[in-house]
Amino acid sequence: MGILIGALAALAVVAAVAWPLVTHRAEDPPDDPVDDARRTVEEDLQRSLAAIREIDMDHRAGNLSDEDFAALDGAERARAVELMRRADELSAP
Amino acid sequence: MSLLGRTALLLALVGAIYVVVMSLASRRPGRRAWEMSAERGVYAVFGLTSLAIVTMWTALVTDAFELRNVAEYSSSTLGTGYKLTALWGSQAGSLLLWAWILSGYAAVAVYLNRGRNRQLMPVVMAVLMGIAIFFLGVLSFVTSPFETLATVPEEGRGLNPLLQNVYMQIHPPLLYLGYVGLSVPFAFAMAALVTRKLDTSWITSVRRWTIVSWLFLGMGIVVGAKWAYETLGWGGYWAWDPVENAAFMPWLVATAFLHSVMVQERRGMLKVWNMVLVILTFTLCLFGTFLTRSGIIASVHAFGESTLGPYFLVFIIAVLVASTALLVTRLPLLRSEHSLESYISREAIFLFNNLLLVGLAFAVFWGTMFPILSEAARGERITVGQGYYEQVALPIGIALLILTGVGPLIAWRKASVAQLKRRFTVPLAVAIASIAPLALLTDAGQSWPALLTIVAGVFVTACITGEFWRGTKVRHALGGVSWPGALVSMVGRNRRRYGGYIVHLAVVILFIGFAGSKAFSTEADIAIREGESASVAGFVLVNEGATRSSDEHKEVTSVRIGVFRGDERVTTLDPGIITYSVDETRASQVAIDTRPDRDLYLFLSQLQDDGLARVSVFVNPLVGWIWFAGVMIVLGGLLAAWPSRPAERRERAASPAPDGRAAA
Repeated sequence: MGILIGALAALAVVAAVAWPLVTHRAEDPPDDPVDDARRTVEEDLQRSLAAIREIDMDHRAGNLSDEDFAALDGAERARAVELMRRADELSAP
Repeated sequence: MSLLGRTALLLALVGAIYVVVMSLASRRPGRRAWEMSAERGVYAVFGLTSLAIVTMWTALVTDAFELRNVAEYSSSTLGTGYKLTALWGSQAGSLLLWAWILSGYAAVAVYLNRGRNRQLMPVVMAVLMGIAIFFLGVLSFVTSPFETLATVPEEGRGLNPLLQNVYMQIHPPLLYLGYVGLSVPFAFAMAALVTRKLDTSWITSVRRWTIVSWLFLGMGIVVGAKWAYETLGWGGYWAWDPVENAAFMPWLVATAFLHSVMVQERRGMLKVWNMVLVILTFTLCLFGTFLTRSGIIASVHAFGESTLGPYFLVFIIAVLVASTALLVTRLPLLRSEHSLESYISREAIFLFNNLLLVGLAFAVFWGTMFPILSEAARGERITVGQGYYEQVALPIGIALLILTGVGPLIAWRKASVAQLKRRFTVPLAVAIASIAPLALLTDAGQSWPALLTIVAGVFVTACITGEFWRGTKVRHALGGVSWPGALVSMVGRNRRRYGGYIVHLAVVILFIGFAGSKAFSTEADIAIREGESASVAGFVLVNEGATRSSDEHKEVTSVRIGVFRGDERVTTLDPGIITYSVDETRASQVAIDTRPDRDLYLFLSQLQDDGLARVSVFVNPLVGWIWFAGVMIVLGGLLAAWPSRPAERRERAASPAPDGRAAA
């Protein structure tokens, strides 16, 4: 019984693992590296936007002086603009 | 059963080797099919290790005593629950659990990243399966859980009585879920180094993995402490035992990583440091596993003598050397994008916090290894006592506690003096004002470390409460929501931040629990016959007679102790001694009355035939706070790790800043 289950498991594993090699044509296009870059920029942009909101919240809550707020907010907004520009570039056809 | 289990493990090993080869080979262009095959290989390894573990559980439940692992760690009289958990009572069984969890995590990581991190994933798979090869190799060729006995015994030896406890049913899996989970951040870090893709994407991918693994490890540590408290009968919960330290060290370093990763995300700094922390955390996880299994240390938590030590040692050295070499070759790519502008900034506070956490981890490492090193160097094992650890941990702990309050109130980049004054005046005033009532109205004044800890706790609580108050006020001022609605909305919109604050509040409660239970514990040994009484710390304890009960599995002898304050009965406790029928081994049945302000803890050391009961009595203040803090840490951690729904993320990104300005 053990041998039978073991043999069936081995066969199932070999079939499942070999399936992509058998069914995928050799000329399958490689992954789009731009897609990965776009995703990274998008994630960075989300973080930057979250940071802008957090800085704003800290300022309203009194954790940041007007001067510190202006410096931090300006720098983060510039970063967000740059990320948006890169995201647009990567999305361009 | 043995054949099936061995075959499944061997096939899993072959599968893991296949994944490593195919995933690394798939990095060449046009080999997506190879990568897909490797991905399926990861799922197959998980399936095969699942088959192996299910086979082992079946053997345990059906009393298959032909397997050494079943005969030595289970018995027919054991309940089904304990039969299942007997798996991790043995060395080989617990390694099987390790391998199963690792393959499960690898399968989940592959599934979650099926459409992302395409450059990183082949290397991530290779690293995770490389680790799996080590464990599956050990399970297949060094210590197999499916080893058979030449002569099949009629009955098994049974599970160690100390492990027949609900906490021991969940403590090892929790620890392993933590230890093994931390291999995923390590795999992503190695993949980022190998592929030279050192932007923040790997950090983003591992943040939740790290929080969840950190939570599991923390829960495992707390549950282990609760087990020690309720089972071992010495009245304490933490003894700086080498195995406790083994779990504590990676938890400390992972805590440092969770903080410093924010500095890299926000400021592009500490990139090398974060890599070092990830490598160190994973190496310490392996080191902890080595300590528990090598037989080089004596501990109630450790497995006995074994031949596994050298294998683990070689593996740890290989991991450390390879990862460090890789890191060194990539140093030019890991330059910081900014430099530290001020020592009064959030990134500086995180850096101090990191140095303290890693410093404490190093001190614990030194204390743990010193007996071994002293024996190797001078032939004499010099034990490091609790005094050493407490001397080191106390100042570092208090400093860390204060930083948990200070950090969130200080701005990134730099904070002005005026700002500091505005933020810290109230918390400092509250903390200073608390000193007099604490010293005069409680016992805190009798111990300056306890007083300092509690005052620091008051300061941090004031800091964090202020944060919640100000945030809620701002959200409420924006209009449209009630005060409770504003609080919920504020927390929901920034779960990471406020989840972190809840964890910080839990740390305060934890530290107050430590301070109370360490500084003000009362201990007394009493001997009372039936009808006699003794007084301890204001309680009168009356021996109300012995009781005996038994079933086919065990015999319990206990003494009924009535606890009084004046004429009022506070509680009735039944400390006892359990004798297990299978091998006559004995375990204590500790009796505890838990109240918010203290635990009354009774341990029966002897009950004579003439009714004389020798009982150790401990009055431990504030111990319950420690377990409560453990639950709060889990809740706060889950809140911080909880993912936003995609729609919620899009809405947040699209919506303007609160004052109506667009984000840029």
